Parts: sequence; structure tokens; C-alpha cells
Amino acid sequence: MAIQIILLCGLVIFSALAILLKDLIKAALSLAVASLLLGIIFFRLAAPYAAVFEISVVAGLITVLFILTIALTKKGDEVTEARLVKLAFPVFLILFLVIDGLVMKSLLQKIPALPAGPEAGTFGEVLWKQRTFDLVAQVGVILAGVLAVLALFRKKEEDKDE
Amino acid sequence: MVFSFIVIPLLVAAFLPLVGKFSKKLLPDVLTNAALAFLVFNAILLVKPIFNQGVIVQNLNWLGERVNLQVALDGFNLFMLFTISLVSLCISLFSIDYLEHYGHKSTFYALFLVMIAGMNGLVLVPDLFSVYLFLEVAAVASYALVAFGLGYDELEASFKYLMLSVVASAFALLSITVIFGMTGSLNFQAVAQGLQDLQARLVLGVCVAFFIMGFGLKAALVPFHAWLPDAHPSAPAPISAMLSGLLIKVSGIYALFRIIYSVIGLTPALSQLLMALGTISMVVAALLALGQKDIKRMLAYSSISQVGYIVLGLALGTPLGIAGALFHLFNHAVAKGLLFLNSGSIQHITGTRNLEELGGLGKMVPVTAGTNLVGALSIAGVPPLAGFWSKLIIIMALIQAKQFGYALVAILASILTLWYYLLIQRKAFFGRVAEKWSQVKEAPFWMSAANVVLALVCILVGIFFTPIFKTWISPAAEALARGIQQVLMWGL
Repeated sequence: MAIQIILLCGLVIFSALAILLKDLIKAALSLAVASLLLGIIFFRLAAPYAAVFEISVVAGLITVLFILTIALTKKGDEVTEARLVKLAFPVFLILFLVIDGLVMKSLLQKIPALPAGPEAGTFGEVLWKQRTFDLVAQVGVILAGVLAVLALFRKKEEDKDE
Repeated sequence: MVFSFIVIPLLVAAFLPLVGKFSKKLLPDVLTNAALAFLVFNAILLVKPIFNQGVIVQNLNWLGERVNLQVALDGFNLFMLFTISLVSLCISLFSIDYLEHYGHKSTFYALFLVMIAGMNGLVLVPDLFSVYLFLEVAAVASYALVAFGLGYDELEASFKYLMLSVVASAFALLSITVIFGMTGSLNFQAVAQGLQDLQARLVLGVCVAFFIMGFGLKAALVPFHAWLPDAHPSAPAPISAMLSGLLIKVSGIYALFRIIYSVIGLTPALSQLLMALGTISMVVAALLALGQKDIKRMLAYSSISQVGYIVLGLALGTPLGIAGALFHLFNHAVAKGLLFLNSGSIQHITGTRNLEELGGLGKMVPVTAGTNLVGALSIAGVPPLAGFWSKLIIIMALIQAKQFGYALVAILASILTLWYYLLIQRKAFFGRVAEKWSQVKEAPFWMSAANVVLALVCILVGIFFTPIFKTWISPAAEALARGIQQVLMWGL
């Protein structure tokens, strides 16, 4: 239980740091640490596949992409944020933690135990046979992402008529 | 046949970037419009089977093996698919000429088709998590499309839209997670059954609140509307038409009410809450629209206001209320699509959207002015146009349910709507022609043609109201009402 609490506190702290830190590299690394902790939590909660994906994709691959992008781009003009905007996130976070602490425990106790086992099967069966529609949607999300990159990083060109 | 609503747009979208290497304009135009025309035709063909059978369930085999690829089509989602396909086709016809100065048509059309596939998928799936996934397909494509112009305003609006939309998705996902945790299932029917067996009213109440926050943000209901007046005007005109005409309704209203009607059940308290939200949106957004100078911004506020009418009718929950709301959903999709496309024509013709700079355009561009008038009067609810009937049915449903206060507010908001649309007419199209507009010419052929088709739909649906209502709206409303009866009521 103590390890679980330490992991959860670490997750909240590093997630908050990812937003609050001004240095983009440090922010990206904080996000990676947060994902790593989340992966460990998933593993401890008997969700090994979710843990593997979280650690390899989010903590690993995405962090590499972030750092690569930050390294390849030039530092632009400093954008000064209004004091109100700077305060918004910490205030919201503290408020959320307070409400969470007061409400969530009693609310979670009211969630009844699972009446029957969830949609079960091996990982492959669930992914390929039970959640096939989700795979189609995943193809759609990936396609949308690729096309978005093509659209937003295009060079303005004069289209020549055929 | 039913799967084609998802598969065809995705397939064409995947090939378009390759096609764009060989043909920058002609082939992307033809392929996109042909795919969408096929979907409209497909939806029309499905009317008869749905009319006879009520529900069509289709399973798909994957490489000879049966997999869990199941779609359930009833009157309600067929109605949504037809609306999406018809309005999208007109928008893509408009884009043939409008996109000339943007370039990169193939990428634009590909994103456009992915957005349509996302919306169609969302409409067809009978599963909570799949709803979330298709919601994201449509959303990711729409972020890129809002920013397609790559100007400062477009990028800022897209970023703001992205940030708020992610918050909306997070609320919806959180709620889905808790429901999965409680029932062990994600399928609509199984979850509805599971929730009936449980006595978890408080937790379910929190889930409903999260759904309302999440989908309310997507539908831009007041007070979750802040992103819409920035995002919709900044996007290229076809995308503004798509977002205001279709996306807020599919990813906001459809998703919210499908879940409420088919999974959770509509209680009197929930009905009152949603009716209040709808009414506030209707009035507040109409008042905000009055002060706008930018045509597209005014139209964006108008969308929030009209979404209020739809929510009011659906939240009322009576058969007449549901039918009126669905009819208004269709009419608003067509008329708002028309008005946003029309604003694109105005910007194309004059280079501005500022009402203070325009004036007397009616004499110079009669097609643009005429179609704008039809769209404006339809949304404002002037007989015999389509919008009149849908608003009338909603108000009749409110009176029938003895909700006289709401009925009065709906009538007053309609007067406000007419007021700001007449402001557009007076400032842009009537009066003396300013010297700088004395040489302007009508918009190119496909832009005008798309406007004319949508204007004709507004007129014809108004004139042939009775058969259209019987064929399209009643089966849709019945399918939704069946959903309510199937779900046992739970009390908050």
C-alpha cells in the first residue's frame, strides 16, 4: 500500500512538473518519468499489457520524439504569460487535489463490485476478435494523424493544373 | 452495405495523398464527390429495409473468420447518416472551387473524408469505447482542418479547440471507464442491463455529469461554448460548415442522447437539467450573436443557440419533442451548412466578412444573396421553409407537455434569431451598393451550385414536409423512443 501511495504521489508530482517547468527538455523528461511510474502502477494492478505499452510507447518512443523535435527547432521569442494564466494551473491542481481527497474515497466505496467478470479472453483474442471495431477506429486515428502532419507541415506551393 | 459508410471514406482518404501526386485537382475532386454521392445513394437505398424491419444488424467476417465487427442500424442512425452524407456532399462540391487558393486539395479531402468516417463510425457503433474512439477520429481530423489555412488565427483557434476538446474527451472517457468498472461491459444493451441490476445511483449521477460536461463541450452548450466562436470562424468555409452543421451535433448531441436514451435512461431530474441547459444556450447565444460584426462569428453563436433548441426538444423526451428536435437537427445542418458556405462565397467575392464594410451586394450577386436569404429565414423559422416546421413542432411539444415557460422562451429566442439574421440581410445585401463593390462578380459555379442545392433542400423540405416527416423523421424518433422504453428508469 505504501509503495502504491508513493508511486501515485510521484505520478502527480512529475505530471505537474511536466506542465510547470519552463525548460522543454526537462518538461519532456518529467512526462517520461510520470509515464514510467504509471506503467509500474499498471503492472502492480495486474495489467501487464497496458504497462508494457505505457512504458515502451509513452515513456520511450514519444519522449524520444519530443526531445528530437525540441533539439531540431530553434528557440523563438520568449512569450510572457499573464500572471493570472500562470496561477491558473497551480490553483486548479490544488483545488482538484483537495476535492479529490475529500470526495473520492467515499465515492469509490460506493462503486459496487463487478457483478461478473469483464469481457475476458487472451490478449490476442480481446484485441483481434472482441475489439475489432476499435482497430478500425485506430486505423482512422493514425490516418488522421499522418494526414494532419502532411497538412500542417506542408510548404505553400503553386498548384499547377493538370 | 452498412459498413461502407465507414470503409469507403477511409479507403478513399488513404489513397488520396497518392492520387494527389499524379493529379492535383481533377482526380481528388472527382473521387471525393463520387464517394460522398455513393454514401447519399446508399442511405436512400436503406430507407425501405429500415421502414420494414426496424433494425438491421450486420456482422463482418475478417479473412474468413467471424470477428466482432458488428453494426446496428436503426431509424435514428440512418437519419444521421443521411444528414451527414447529404450535407458533406454539398460541402465537397463547394470545395471544388473554394480550395483553389489553398492548394493541396488531396490532403484536404483526405482529412475531410476521415472526419466523415469518424462521424459515421460514431453513429453506427453500439459500444461505449468505440464511441470514444470514433469521436477521436473525427476530432483529430477536425483540428488539422481548422488550422488548414496555416495563418496565425487559424493555428490559435485550432490549438484552443484542441485543448478544450481533449478535456471534453477526458471527461467522456473517465465516465466510460467507471461504467465499465461497474458493469464489466461496454456494449450499450449489456451496460443498460448491468446498470439496472446495480443500485449505484450516486456514482451513476457523477458519470452522467461527466458525460454532460464532455459531450456538452463538444456540442458547445452554454457554459461550455467558449471554443466555438473562435474555432468555427477561423476555419476555411467548408470546414466551418462541417463543424457547425454536423460535427457538434454528431460528437456532442448524438453521442450524449444516444447514451442517455439507450444506456442510462432519462429521469425527470436529468430532463429538467438538460432542458435548462438548452434554454440558456438558446437565449445567451442569440443575445451574443446580435453584437457581432463578423458574419461567421455571428453564425457560430447562432449554432450554439440552435443547438439549444435541439437539446430542449430531445431533453423533453416526449415523442413529439424528439421528432421536432431531430427534424430541427436536420434543418439546422442544412441551413447552417448553407450559411457558412455562403459566408465563404461572400469572402471570396469581397475579401471581407465584416458586416460594417459590406452593403448592397444583393444587386451584384443575386444567387449568393438569394440563397443566404433562404438559409437565414429557414433557421429563423419563417414559413413555409423547413426550419419553421421543426421549431413549430418543438414549441407544440413543449405546450403539449405543459412546459409553457420554455415554450415562451423558445418563441422569444426565435424572434431574436430573426432579428440578427435580418441584420445580416440589411447590412450585407440590401441598401446602396458601396463603390468598392460595384464591380464584384458572382461566386464561381460550384460554390454557387452547392449554395443553390442546399437552399432548394430548405425550400423543398418545407413544402413536402408531411411525406419527409413520415419517411425520415418518424422512424428516427421511434427508434430513440424505443431506446427510452428499453432502459429501466433510475431515480436520482
